[in-house]
Amino acid sequence: MTTDEAVPAAEEASAQPPPPVTAPDERLAYRGPIQRLLVRPEIGALIGAAVIWVFFWAVSDVFGTSAGVNNYLDVSATLGIMSVAVALLMIGGEFDLSSGAMTGATGMLVVLLAKDVGEFGGAGLPLTISIPVVLAFAVGVGWVNGTLVERTALPSFIVTLGTFFVLRGAKLGFAKLFTDKVIVEGLDNAPDHAFWENIFGATWIRNDHLWDSFLGGRDVVYGVILVLGVAALFIGLLELTFRRKTTYDTSGLGVFAVGVVAAIAGLIQLTNTDGTGTNWTWSLIMGAGIVVAAYGFARWRYEPRAEDRGTLALDGRIARNAALGVGAVVLGVVFGLAMDSSSRTELGFLLTVQGLRAMLFAGLAVLGVILLMLAARDAAKTSPITSFALTTVTAVVVAAVAFVVQSEAASRKLRAELFAVLLLAALVLFVSALLRLLFTERRAAEPAADGFGRTMAIVGIFLVFVAIAIRLLWATTVENQTVPGVFSYRISVMYFLVFTLVAQWVLVRTKFGSWTFAVGGNKNASRQVGVPAARTKTTLFIVVAVSAWLVGMLIAFRLNSVQANVGDGNEFFYIIAAVVGGNLLTGGYGSAAGAAIGALIMAMSFQGIPFAGWNSDWRFLFVGVILLLAVLVNNYVRRKAESAS
Amino acid sequence: MSEPHLLELENISKYYGNIIALTGVTTSVNAGEVTCVLGDNGAGKSTFIKIIAGAHQQSEGTLSVEGEEVMFDSPRDALAKGIATVYQDLAVVPLMSVWRNFFLGAEPTKSLGPLRWIDKEKASRIAKEEMAKMGIDIRDTEQPVGTLSGGERQSVAIARAAYFGAKVLILDEPTSALGVKQSGVVLRYIVEARNRGLGVIFITHNPNHAYPVGDRFLILNRGRSMGNFAKDEITRDELIMMMAGGAELEELQKELEMASAGDEGLAHLAEELAEEVHELEERADHH
Repeated sequence: MTTDEAVPAAEEASAQPPPPVTAPDERLAYRGPIQRLLVRPEIGALIGAAVIWVFFWAVSDVFGTSAGVNNYLDVSATLGIMSVAVALLMIGGEFDLSSGAMTGATGMLVVLLAKDVGEFGGAGLPLTISIPVVLAFAVGVGWVNGTLVERTALPSFIVTLGTFFVLRGAKLGFAKLFTDKVIVEGLDNAPDHAFWENIFGATWIRNDHLWDSFLGGRDVVYGVILVLGVAALFIGLLELTFRRKTTYDTSGLGVFAVGVVAAIAGLIQLTNTDGTGTNWTWSLIMGAGIVVAAYGFARWRYEPRAEDRGTLALDGRIARNAALGVGAVVLGVVFGLAMDSSSRTELGFLLTVQGLRAMLFAGLAVLGVILLMLAARDAAKTSPITSFALTTVTAVVVAAVAFVVQSEAASRKLRAELFAVLLLAALVLFVSALLRLLFTERRAAEPAADGFGRTMAIVGIFLVFVAIAIRLLWATTVENQTVPGVFSYRISVMYFLVFTLVAQWVLVRTKFGSWTFAVGGNKNASRQVGVPAARTKTTLFIVVAVSAWLVGMLIAFRLNSVQANVGDGNEFFYIIAAVVGGNLLTGGYGSAAGAAIGALIMAMSFQGIPFAGWNSDWRFLFVGVILLLAVLVNNYVRRKAESAS
Repeated sequence: MSEPHLLELENISKYYGNIIALTGVTTSVNAGEVTCVLGDNGAGKSTFIKIIAGAHQQSEGTLSVEGEEVMFDSPRDALAKGIATVYQDLAVVPLMSVWRNFFLGAEPTKSLGPLRWIDKEKASRIAKEEMAKMGIDIRDTEQPVGTLSGGERQSVAIARAAYFGAKVLILDEPTSALGVKQSGVVLRYIVEARNRGLGVIFITHNPNHAYPVGDRFLILNRGRSMGNFAKDEITRDELIMMMAGGAELEELQKELEMASAGDEGLAHLAEELAEEVHELEERADHH
């Protein structure tokens, strides 16, 4: 718009030129892909889940097998469905303390309605009637909670505390009244029990022997998907990081093809000959192939580095961090070599020599690598070449740790899998350092590259998750032999998964989700622009109650009986899981997927402690520590993310 | 002018029981003009806004939109007539992204069968374009509004109201919580909105903010109209005098001088204020 003609003469007196649409604001730094990823509320939880998984996997023989996974998935399912619903409500700025008691109340109500309760004349309704009736009851309780909170403007904490005690008292009172016991039994007396059991109580008996020969077995299937996923993720991150060339360099494609062929050949040879890393020739060919392929790909697509690479300079803090880092890793390796890796002698505080060794070795190694990476990050500000050198040193150190693990680890699983993962990490570190040295990083958004990069990254992450799922859920013949006992997956896990996906989609992609964030973030502002705040909150209360109904059904069909105190007190675990998953206690921020991961963390900690051979009395101590850590990490991550923007 | 005013108030009064909150207020708003409503605390500015925004009904007098007499029952009614209000502190949800805030309550959707979801690309693109029209380059519309500066936050609300077809924009003390520079930013957006043909009602207690951008000034004091002037009928000094009452202002000035003698911070503030006024004057003179 030009002012000279656009503004009529009469207005001239006070008209100002419209501010020019300026060049990008220099105060706003370009936020790279990694930083944007860190803004996501579930990232802290995901990292936490990985750490806890690795921890229990290393200290227990069963935890990483399909049997162990089945165990904590089962526990996480009922916890997780509720945590996701409670997280939605929390994002909307409210709490529901009656949610735990509701799971027991709905379960108990369906049993009472469905069975013959003797002299008091039970309803004895078919489940086809009683299950929807109980659903209507749940909707009613949710509506009452929501309406009370909205009408009275009292804190939901107090209102739902009231509902909690009402439900708790009613459960105990009615159980005693009808059965003279604190348990109601006999859901299977209902005439159409068989049909409904397929919906709420189905299980799949595992029969892995049928699958063991499928496409070369589990390890090949998950390995291939994992490699594809990592490759897609890597390409996505490259697209998001580097500046594209105006005309692509086809000679890069040739280099890329050579690298890919070498890497695939190496991989095939390794899987045919060796899973524990003693085949040096093919390991090197594969590693070199990956580096060459990555370089070729980058040369084909991205601008070479324009600025000076600087000179190698190690000053004060950088040198100190680097030296301390290398020192810590060396010390860790020394402990690893000196202590007896197979001794289960108790040292007190539940620690064996083996466990202490694992902790010292892993702790010092992780500390050392973190220090080295900090040094590399600081160096990036002074000279790119120094940063490259330090990252390369880090990669070498990680590789060295991998070899120590491979030669020294007591158990088979540590040798094969940890070795491969660590080597891969070292390779990724080195390749990313190399590419950042040789090519130009972006300082501005490029819509086409951003779109493609994001798609590739999402596809990559999805494939990695599929690979992990295959690895965790599909037992190998070896595992079936070493872990006795038949186990089966319950349908509740399926509900958990579907419910989480639907909730996450609703939250981020629909109007209702947007309104949920809005009423939790600033209720007055959202009402001002026409968001039906009261209706949104009431709906959220109903969602929680209906989820409690679903969990109630899952509980009732599991044992065909429900105790009067089932679910009481669980509301705090739901809230903890939601907080661990990155949801803000004060509302307006969070994620459903995060809450699901939070539930998984809780379940893994609860089940992991007995798996590790420790007294399960320590459970709550562990949960408390996890909660505190999660809150600290969330706080840190969010502040980091916000200050960076 | 034969055309009716976009918004016209005649002899508006409001009583809360036996309390007279507002009495005999007359003014008008035209498309492409800024009407400033000035007054100290308790002057009746809030009551004035609430009547136009539809939150309260006037006890006496007439309110007409484009020549048609109206009586609003609710804010929704006022909104339907194209009257949008941007409240100073309730304008946006800080933890939500720019595009979500921009389209909050009126999200564009796509659908497939019974499924309906937000058309994020469209929402993001329009939010970016509309903000650019206000002269703000939002690089990343995923950025939480809380990370924007105070002035830019206000402008998100202003741009949103303008995009959703507001004809009259009521801005409630948009500059009162802002620093000098940020106030300047918001004043720019007010001019921008006016240039786009909106009628703007700018509520403020700062005549130095009002004078450079206003086309018409309504001065309220203790619920009464102290006058309703077009820009050429009044000077800045007269405006300042009218608003506070001459004697009171003189006293205040003396007090300030006394205080500033012992307080450098206050003296600095006074200087800044003087600079800002000067700057705004220059800009206004430019055209």
